[in-house]
Amino acid sequence: MRATAGTFTALAVALALLTGCSTAPSTASSTAYVPPTNAAPTPTPTPEAPLPVAEVDVPTASASLDQNQVPQAPVPQRIRVDSLGIDMAIEPVGLADDGAMALPKDPSLAAWYRFGPSPASAAGATVVAAHVDSLIYDIGPFAQLASATAGTEIVVTTEDGQDRRYAVESVQTVTKQDVPWDAIFDRSGPSRLTLVTCGGEFDYDARTYLSNVIVSANPIA
Amino acid sequence: MHKTLKIGMTAGALGALVALGGLAPAQAAEDVAKLSVLHGVPGLTVDVYVNDKLTLDDFKPGDIAGPLDLPAGTYTVAITASDAADASAPAIGPVDLPLEAGKNYTAAAHLDEAGKPTATLFTNDISQVAAGEGRLTVRHVAAAPAVDVLANGAVAITALVNPNESVLALPAGTISAAVAATGTTEPVIGPADVNVAEGTNTIVYAWGSLTDKNLALAVQTIEGLHSNPDSIPAGEAGLVATNQANDSTGLMVGVAAVLMGLVAAAVVGMRRLSVARR
Repeated sequence: MRATAGTFTALAVALALLTGCSTAPSTASSTAYVPPTNAAPTPTPTPEAPLPVAEVDVPTASASLDQNQVPQAPVPQRIRVDSLGIDMAIEPVGLADDGAMALPKDPSLAAWYRFGPSPASAAGATVVAAHVDSLIYDIGPFAQLASATAGTEIVVTTEDGQDRRYAVESVQTVTKQDVPWDAIFDRSGPSRLTLVTCGGEFDYDARTYLSNVIVSANPIA
Repeated sequence: MHKTLKIGMTAGALGALVALGGLAPAQAAEDVAKLSVLHGVPGLTVDVYVNDKLTLDDFKPGDIAGPLDLPAGTYTVAITASDAADASAPAIGPVDLPLEAGKNYTAAAHLDEAGKPTATLFTNDISQVAAGEGRLTVRHVAAAPAVDVLANGAVAITALVNPNESVLALPAGTISAAVAATGTTEPVIGPADVNVAEGTNTIVYAWGSLTDKNLALAVQTIEGLHSNPDSIPAGEAGLVATNQANDSTGLMVGVAAVLMGLVAAAVVGMRRLSVARR
């Protein structure tokens, strides 16, 4: 009983043409997720000398329990994108029961995936996401992300009081089934920031957006 | 239109980079075996010889060495007093350790239940852990009878005997762990806080000697076993959708059906009312 994909496509194209909307129709932009250019591959681990371990200086450490403390990566607490009017608190979150990243209902609150990297981590993508809208709370600030452009500055404040600045590299609208979640939540590679919300077309029967809007940003030295 | 262009320009080159990044560690892991060595014999600083070559000099109790990347094969390990000139008179072994490529091992020098020094090769579980969870492996390498392990005061593992292990999947976080003689709750070790880190195999060794009152916990961690959330549902109202509600003919038909149903129900209801009045 749903409109066909063709109908959606035609409407989206028509809408884009009519409004001159800068957001590319999802059919054009969702063919494949494109990783950010700075996401260099993890360096191949240097192989140990092919045995005679006799001469190898083997790393040795105490296995005592006090070496096994919770790592204290500074938690990101606030995100600002001045040019888009975004200024939001960030909550640490884990997973929902269904295996999705658990977001606060209120789209004016952003969420940080607390099991992944933080902006202070030496490597990997800090993932911050927020609802784009809500039946209760209306449209959220992350709705503006779709209009970010390359170079847009993002500032994330961590609990140590540091402002960590990023520049947007790319903004992509990717159909949900095509989002490579392991790349989004990558804990290796250069330290970087990935913002995620929803966007694109909406399935008014299932009450869900068909795409995620993914912003990739790199630290400003 | 710049967004579309940007995607077109970068897709090919970046696809290749990501493919390489994903492949490199996997290849390395397949080619070699990883070996760590735990020293769990109290009061005895040792030297460790692998294939008759001195590998760990002055290795102290409670320390862990490695992991070493080793080509697959069988390695002969002998553990001597720290002042030994060679491996000819080992205190433990020599033992043969068959190591398979792609696997992760810990060789533990420890006491058996009766208090005699021995060595055990454990294979560490490096399979992926569900997102949000950690893996807790508990190994009994102490001169002590069967034990129970209590997590946050509740029995989590029962009747664990030297040199066996038990593996649990737990929500990530810190647990209060204690070790008690099996069937009892009075701790012989702990309680102590153990960080069961997300996406990590946290391996806890109960080592030492009950008789000598030097039982202790040692911890080894193997990171990078995490998996990731499988979606981010981040909108429910369609307020910024690029399509419109009345584009959805399906919805319109659905609404019409519901309305017709309501009308029909109302008509029936009214008829029933009128019947009742009669």
